[in-house]
Amino acid sequence: MNGELIVFFILALVAIGSGILMLNLTKVVHMVIALVFTFLSIAGLYVMLSAEFLAFVQILIYSGAITIIMLFGIMLTRHSDRTESKIGVPRTVLVLGGIVAFFLVMFFQINDLSFGEQATVLHVDNTEKIGVELYSKFVIPFELTSVLLLVALVGAIVLAKRDDEEEAKDNE
Amino acid sequence: MMNDLLHSAPSLSNTLIFFALGASLLMIVLGFVTYAILAERKVMGFMQLRSGPNKVGGRFGLLQTVADVLKLLLKEDTIPKAADRPLFIIAPVLAFAPAFMVLAVIPFSDSLRFSDIGIGLLYYIAISGISTIGILMGGWASNNKYALLGGMRSAAQMISYEVPLVMSVIGIILITGSLNLIEIVDAQKNLAFIFVQPLAFIIFLIASTAELNRTPFDLPEAESELVAGYHVEYSGFRWAFFMLTEYVYLFAMASLTTVLFLGGWHPVPFLGFIPGVVWFAIKFSLVVFIMIWFRATLPRLRADQLMSFGWKVLLPLALLNIFISAVIKEIWF
Repeated sequence: MNGELIVFFILALVAIGSGILMLNLTKVVHMVIALVFTFLSIAGLYVMLSAEFLAFVQILIYSGAITIIMLFGIMLTRHSDRTESKIGVPRTVLVLGGIVAFFLVMFFQINDLSFGEQATVLHVDNTEKIGVELYSKFVIPFELTSVLLLVALVGAIVLAKRDDEEEAKDNE
Repeated sequence: MMNDLLHSAPSLSNTLIFFALGASLLMIVLGFVTYAILAERKVMGFMQLRSGPNKVGGRFGLLQTVADVLKLLLKEDTIPKAADRPLFIIAPVLAFAPAFMVLAVIPFSDSLRFSDIGIGLLYYIAISGISTIGILMGGWASNNKYALLGGMRSAAQMISYEVPLVMSVIGIILITGSLNLIEIVDAQKNLAFIFVQPLAFIIFLIASTAELNRTPFDLPEAESELVAGYHVEYSGFRWAFFMLTEYVYLFAMASLTTVLFLGGWHPVPFLGFIPGVVWFAIKFSLVVFIMIWFRATLPRLRADQLMSFGWKVLLPLALLNIFISAVIKEIWF
């Protein structure tokens, strides 16, 4: 048992544990916090796979931006909301059966899965390599994504603006 | 010595050495926080024609902060009955831990640094974003409308000013061609980036003041409107943790400014005989002094002015700076 395995188990445990907590907690805000811990431990797993760039972009976007947007949404609406579970026994049994089947399928598939030779130089200049790949091989998808984001940005401004104008008319 | 350690194979003794180094850095940072608070009160005192703390610990009040911290630790630790107990307890930790974690990537000198990762700058920006969640949590868990308002303001402000902060740094990344803070410092061997990127420096300084929630952008704790902001309900050492977060971020942000714009540990020409750590300390102290200066001289902004300044002035300027940097890079470098 080496250090890598211990770290993997801790991160995996935190990821799965907070995932389960997220589903089982009753207060909305608690759920978001559990979600943050899931995102952070997944970022930790990325670091273990020598993908630091992806890991910290994950923290920046998911735990930094998206959860805060969620929290904003929650706090501007009903920030003390609770959920009550109303799931019957048959449904629980059905879901449990599904999960067991899924686990068995995945377990037997992964058991005799082979990735071939393991890459050993993944950590050398990987950020630079991502940049080079992105701007040489994947230019068109990259540009399309930027256009999509621009459309979303303009759309958000248009929506916000219309609200303002309507309010001004209502006030008159 | 430290470089050898960073490149050596991981082992149990290395873990212990790194733990000890981390603990000593924490002690140094705590010492800085103690005297930064005193320095802030003294400098502000002199700027406002009064003398500041001068009773505890001799003529200059050298033990004033120590006495204050002792008082905080002895205070009763209250948790309001209506508060959300688990989140109320976890919030100061969630706010403080990232503040100390970001220090891991700051290179203090050629030999004194705690890591050498290729994405140092991205690490700093990503990790510092987690603190916002801690502050928002503290505000929500207190179950107090002033605390919630303070927390919301804080989160809105930190998100809005993170954008120009990151954008202003892109010019430097373009010129250096690396996100590694050590390589960024090395690229400033002959000329600090403050002369290459003056616009970026101004944007960065303003945005970092806003990120630190300091005057003129201290709306989250505007005492005249919100009692105290997100930490109204906190007392004792939990409150001390929020204060500590603020000052450790001051340490981290001043270090980052030194590394990105003032050339880090590189000396001014002809004064190369002074060791690099001392140069770092001098430049760092200068940035901290400027922050204190801002606080003593500028009035607080209004909430809507704050938002429109961030999005309508700083962001377009930062975009312009990226454009100019790209042109400069194409022509000269």
